[in-house]
Amino acid sequence: MSKDEFYIGWQDEIPESNKKFLKKVIIGILVLIPVIVYAIVSNQKPFNYHHFEFGTITELSGIYHREPVPILTVESGIPDGFSRNVLLVGFGKIGAAGIIAEIQKSEGNLDGKKISMKGTLIYGDGITLMELTDEEESFIKFISDTVSVLDEPQVYSEKKLTGEILDPKCYFGVMKPGEGKIHKSCTIRCISGGIPPVMRVLQENGVNYDYYLVKGKEGKEINKSVLPYVAQTISVDANIYQQNGWSVAEID
Amino acid sequence: MSVNYTSVLWNKQKKTYDLILWSGILLMISCFVVLQLILFPQITAETLIIRVTALTAFTLLHIILMIGPLARLDIRFLPLLYNRRHLGVSMFLIALIHGVFSIVQFHALGDINPIVSVFTSNQNYQTISEFPFQILGFFALIILFLMAATSHDFWLKNLNPKVWKALHMGVYIAYGLLITHVALGALQYENSPRYWMILIIGFIAIASLHIIAGIKETKRLKELDNILVEEGFYEIASVEEIVENRAKTIFIEDQNIAVFKYDGKVSAVHNVCKHQMGPLGEGKIVDGCITCPWHGYQYLPENGQSPPPFKEKLSTYEVKIIKGKIWINPSPKPEGTFVEPAKIENHE
Repeated sequence: MSKDEFYIGWQDEIPESNKKFLKKVIIGILVLIPVIVYAIVSNQKPFNYHHFEFGTITELSGIYHREPVPILTVESGIPDGFSRNVLLVGFGKIGAAGIIAEIQKSEGNLDGKKISMKGTLIYGDGITLMELTDEEESFIKFISDTVSVLDEPQVYSEKKLTGEILDPKCYFGVMKPGEGKIHKSCTIRCISGGIPPVMRVLQENGVNYDYYLVKGKEGKEINKSVLPYVAQTISVDANIYQQNGWSVAEID
Repeated sequence: MSVNYTSVLWNKQKKTYDLILWSGILLMISCFVVLQLILFPQITAETLIIRVTALTAFTLLHIILMIGPLARLDIRFLPLLYNRRHLGVSMFLIALIHGVFSIVQFHALGDINPIVSVFTSNQNYQTISEFPFQILGFFALIILFLMAATSHDFWLKNLNPKVWKALHMGVYIAYGLLITHVALGALQYENSPRYWMILIIGFIAIASLHIIAGIKETKRLKELDNILVEEGFYEIASVEEIVENRAKTIFIEDQNIAVFKYDGKVSAVHNVCKHQMGPLGEGKIVDGCITCPWHGYQYLPENGQSPPPFKEKLSTYEVKIIKGKIWINPSPKPEGTFVEPAKIENHE
């Protein structure tokens, strides 16, 4: 330092030599910031194109099915290319079963009946879900009291599945990413809260996925049992069947 | 220096410091948001907030950890050190946003309390790749909170400088927790090798600077060889060796001593500032007072006392000059004891 300059923090002025030096340091940092940010952002895994219509309430009419999980099979009102067998989930990290039970307390059994419900649509990769955002208020009315013939399980095959157990609400649109290690705790919370676990299995073409609702033997709910295995790659022997438009994997 | 703990004066330097700091923070946030929306427009607002706050806070933590050793290696970095607590508090606030958003996003609106969920949702404690990384971030945030909450000199004074310093050394534990938090969390999903490179480069930069600064300090503290000793006094330098109003530092008999030359006199005091253990010997005599290079704390050279109303006191040492050579008795006097300065012969 020239002239034996000495920096004192509580003084108003900073010595010229400090000022010149720090100016270069600060400019260097400011130049480095966009470089660091670009290096971080550009190397991220891409996000999927799944959707959560946050803030938009949609009214759907269709047949309610209790099995394999609460589903509303609709004829219209779904974006093109997505399943009309709409998996119902609750608000937050909670399944729809409790809400449906409350509705049935006042409205009677819904199973197989044509009803009208409202909620927030979630859709991605051909799958559709609806969050019953207003909980019991999501039920609008019965359209028909006629009970439709229930779709019984169609036994299809035994198969070894390798993939990841996800919570479908987050994966198909609410969160990005809704998979893997960083989302693991949320997957656990959602499945623990009653959202049906779904196993994502990569097809042989290495590009597309198949999705299976995960259930226990005889269609029992096994949400709590799968918690230690979610959000990581696992292999399971499963009995596969189709019911109400969904593939179901029964596992031990 | 604040004796009554009234509000600290926001002088021109502090205002400039904060302006540059928050300009940098906003630049980083802006760059991140704009690049994300250009390259990955599908990202959700929550993920954007979680990631931008993580990157900004972690970058600030790296800068904070580098400032200490940089200031030891080059005193021109000292202005960055003086207001480092502003960096620390800003970093904590940004990290807090990251923590709160992450807990709400991943743990709230479920079947148990979100904080309980942080500790119980993922229980794979026995595996590295599946380890519940959130708890590491949670504990790091607690440490950063304690540091931010006690950053004011009120706490420094009331906890006493050694306890306060030990508490604030917790930043290294927080850094270790956060490195692991990132490695076992984000990098288990975002597995590009470039992220590992960036993380490792950051760690190497911080570790290297600390090691280099440590080596420099160790060399300085090495006891002098072949030193003359007579009647408890050690010959430590010639008068000409010390620049006017500056000091020479020496380490004798476990005593870290700063020997100042000023106004035709020489005085010796303990070389460690009472405020944050700054190296007084790298300071300067300003307005008749030894002034610490770190935060400008001041002491009178002849008795080691801060000028009233301040009450900090240093140990002092007996000094004499014989034939142009400075001799020091390394036996410390009680803190604040007046010791007659040695007069330099032929001083004009």
